[in-house]
Amino acid sequence: MVVPLNTWVLISNLKLAYTLLRRPDGTFNRHLAEFLERKVPPNANPVDGVFSFDVIMDRETNLLSRVYRMADTEGRPSVDELQKPLSSDIVPVIIFFHGGSFAHSSSNSAIYDTLCRRLVGICKAVVVSVNYRRAPENHYPCAYDDGWAALKWVNSRPWLKSQDSKAHIYLVGDSSGGNIVHNVALRAVESDIEVLGNILLNPMFGGQKRTESEKRLDGKYFVTIQDRDWYWRAFLPEGEDRDHPACNPFGPNGISLEGIKFPKSLVVVAGLDLAQDWQLAYFEGLKKYGKEVNLLYLERATIGFYLLPNNDHFYTVMDEISNFINS
Amino acid sequence: MDPYRSGSSSSCAGKAPDQIDGLLAAAGYRVRSSELRNVAQRLERLETVMVNAPSEISHLADEVVLHNPSDLASWVDSLLSELNQPVPVPDLSDLTYAQPLDPTVNTGAWMEHHAAEQHREIPQVLTAVEEDSCIQLVHVLMTCAGSVQRGEFSLARALIDEMQGLLTRVNNRCGIGKVAGYFIDALSRRLFSPQGSGLIGSAYENEILYHHFYEASPYLKFAHFTANQAILEAFDGHDCVHVIDFNLMQGLQWPALIQALALRPGGPPLLRLTGIGPPSSDGRDSLREIGLRLAELAHSVNVQFAFRGVAASRLEDVKPWMLQVGPKEAVAINFIMQLHRLLVSDPTRGSPIEAVLGWIRNLNPKVMTVVEQEANHNQPEFLDRFTEALHYYSTTFDSLETCSTQPDKALAEIYIQREICNIVCCEGLARVERHEPLAKWQSRLRGAGFKPLHLGSNAFKQASMLLTLFSAEGYCVEEDGGCLTLGWHSRPLIAASAWQAIPEPNPPLGLVDPYNNVV
Repeated sequence: MVVPLNTWVLISNLKLAYTLLRRPDGTFNRHLAEFLERKVPPNANPVDGVFSFDVIMDRETNLLSRVYRMADTEGRPSVDELQKPLSSDIVPVIIFFHGGSFAHSSSNSAIYDTLCRRLVGICKAVVVSVNYRRAPENHYPCAYDDGWAALKWVNSRPWLKSQDSKAHIYLVGDSSGGNIVHNVALRAVESDIEVLGNILLNPMFGGQKRTESEKRLDGKYFVTIQDRDWYWRAFLPEGEDRDHPACNPFGPNGISLEGIKFPKSLVVVAGLDLAQDWQLAYFEGLKKYGKEVNLLYLERATIGFYLLPNNDHFYTVMDEISNFINS
Repeated sequence: MDPYRSGSSSSCAGKAPDQIDGLLAAAGYRVRSSELRNVAQRLERLETVMVNAPSEISHLADEVVLHNPSDLASWVDSLLSELNQPVPVPDLSDLTYAQPLDPTVNTGAWMEHHAAEQHREIPQVLTAVEEDSCIQLVHVLMTCAGSVQRGEFSLARALIDEMQGLLTRVNNRCGIGKVAGYFIDALSRRLFSPQGSGLIGSAYENEILYHHFYEASPYLKFAHFTANQAILEAFDGHDCVHVIDFNLMQGLQWPALIQALALRPGGPPLLRLTGIGPPSSDGRDSLREIGLRLAELAHSVNVQFAFRGVAASRLEDVKPWMLQVGPKEAVAINFIMQLHRLLVSDPTRGSPIEAVLGWIRNLNPKVMTVVEQEANHNQPEFLDRFTEALHYYSTTFDSLETCSTQPDKALAEIYIQREICNIVCCEGLARVERHEPLAKWQSRLRGAGFKPLHLGSNAFKQASMLLTLFSAEGYCVEEDGGCLTLGWHSRPLIAASAWQAIPEPNPPLGLVDPYNNVV
């Protein structure tokens, strides 16, 4: 077995549950999805030195996010301390976009709450996990709009600025979250909001043609071409195909990044992920336009390997992320 | 702090076999390390089955009732067995919702609420100054509560003055300003009029406030619908059923159940309802009035129905012989936001909760439905209670902002204000709002000889649909170990659970034989 047993059980169970939820007509069994989703509340009492609380960024869209911070002391921070200004010189602020192929999971999903808590400790950062609107109820560009709203919100909080009066913002996301990272960074480019870096973990990209990795790995490691197609149909505007730039940013309808100041990027690709050809094409696309980008290719990794700290790939990636942010 | 540790045990290799896998637990799933391989095999088998019948799967997902997804082993098993034999389960979701009984009430309210949604005010965004004042206000509130706890009353009074000043700089028509105002008011009452400082209204007033709280927010509707679903399922196959409602109020819960029983395949059972409520001081026999109206409804849908009202000022005054439970009846006990009142303890007589749960258990009910505020408002230290209540009711008030119908919203706020006052101003026997969190209720009920009946995906779906139809966005239903919670923006505020008595070796007591002797 390629993955540890408990990882296999976790991802298989998720995949099974997700199969129950997707209907052939493109609709989604949201009630059952919410019933099955394992969620955790925020916890203002520090656990392993990290505490969390939820904030509403935009009342009109009910955009909620969960903020994770390192605790200064042992006890529970009081209400006015939750938004205390950052204490050391430079504290990175990670805006995190969870995965779930645009349709699943939330910022309060147990798997993502755990991951965000780990990121706080590993990167010595504040993490803001965005509860963006999901497909199929909300198509493109809702998730990007929410990501952009979150970026503006973070950038305007006085208590998230470092000692140099600037917010040190990094965008991090896995699967659909990785796709959102790219697209939010694109929007930021035309504004005066600076994004210091993008981290994309197994980002969700695709295209009309069937690549070699898709054909080779179809159905082999938890993911099928068919389910990928379903999720793209659920997210992309009606009538659009997978060469839409949201899905295929460097494809026939892609936009040029020539002369655009784009943040440095770290792209992590799992060798057993059927979408890897598209992810590698993304990496090549950034390089072609002369953007600073690192690729971390993990040959024997499957999707979701970063959810449980029980394999070498997990530690490799966390080290890379930490170096990327703190360099 | 080691950033790589998750705080619980890591990989499963080398751990005691009975231990729960720590990493999966952090992901929300409980699986014993020893069972991992077994569960993996069953998952594989499920995948094969599902791959072979892909078109049926999502159709099946709409029909199947699933329970407690955290318990992976049993969840996987139930899916496997469902794929072999799907079993239809009765539920309330096909019903048209019944009209409330009181004709003077705005009967179109449920439909109109949806229309009112379109004209919702856009809440104002706080300015920087207001945000700052809000934080200050909360800070002073906590300091004031702390000084109250330490008996530093003159300091506390000075702080109240300061807060009144701060309040003027905060927009107290929405958000923290409003709820802070109520808490400042409650602290004032506690300081300046310690005797009889809670807001006590007549039973009639309470009914009106309750009704508007029911209309303004989904909390009570959720409580009623979820409890009814559990009761309906527990009554399946029984011809004589008896519901004992520990707080009849206006009987708003029961029309839906009566209608569901009327539509039951095979015909309705004979339904008895015993409604418990406070004695009326104004000459009206409101229990009987409600009973009559419910009887009319039952008659109109051909359900044989009998009603009995039991007036009691305190829940512990209710005795089993008053309920006249027949030997062949299937009994359901219903506690909507009531059970916590039994936690009031008298130094001479101890806490009545054990006595009451004891005789209930002897009745051997098919189901006991318990819905409670999901909060820890019964801690011994005043400051702890105050802090918890401030957070809890801030969230509640925040959710009420989405209600735009008046006077529902204003009266709903007063309803909540009474709870706040009781928690902040009262002590001893007068403090009846002794809310405790679900986890505490679970261990208390287990200790009293009850076992959980899990609320499943059909109850969840129904609750979600209720929210989509009748409430603003921001409310959420969650499944938590077989119980359902309703909350606002990821904070659970109400928790619903269902229970069954663990049978005892001795025959049940408290029944009345045909000669009216207690057996």
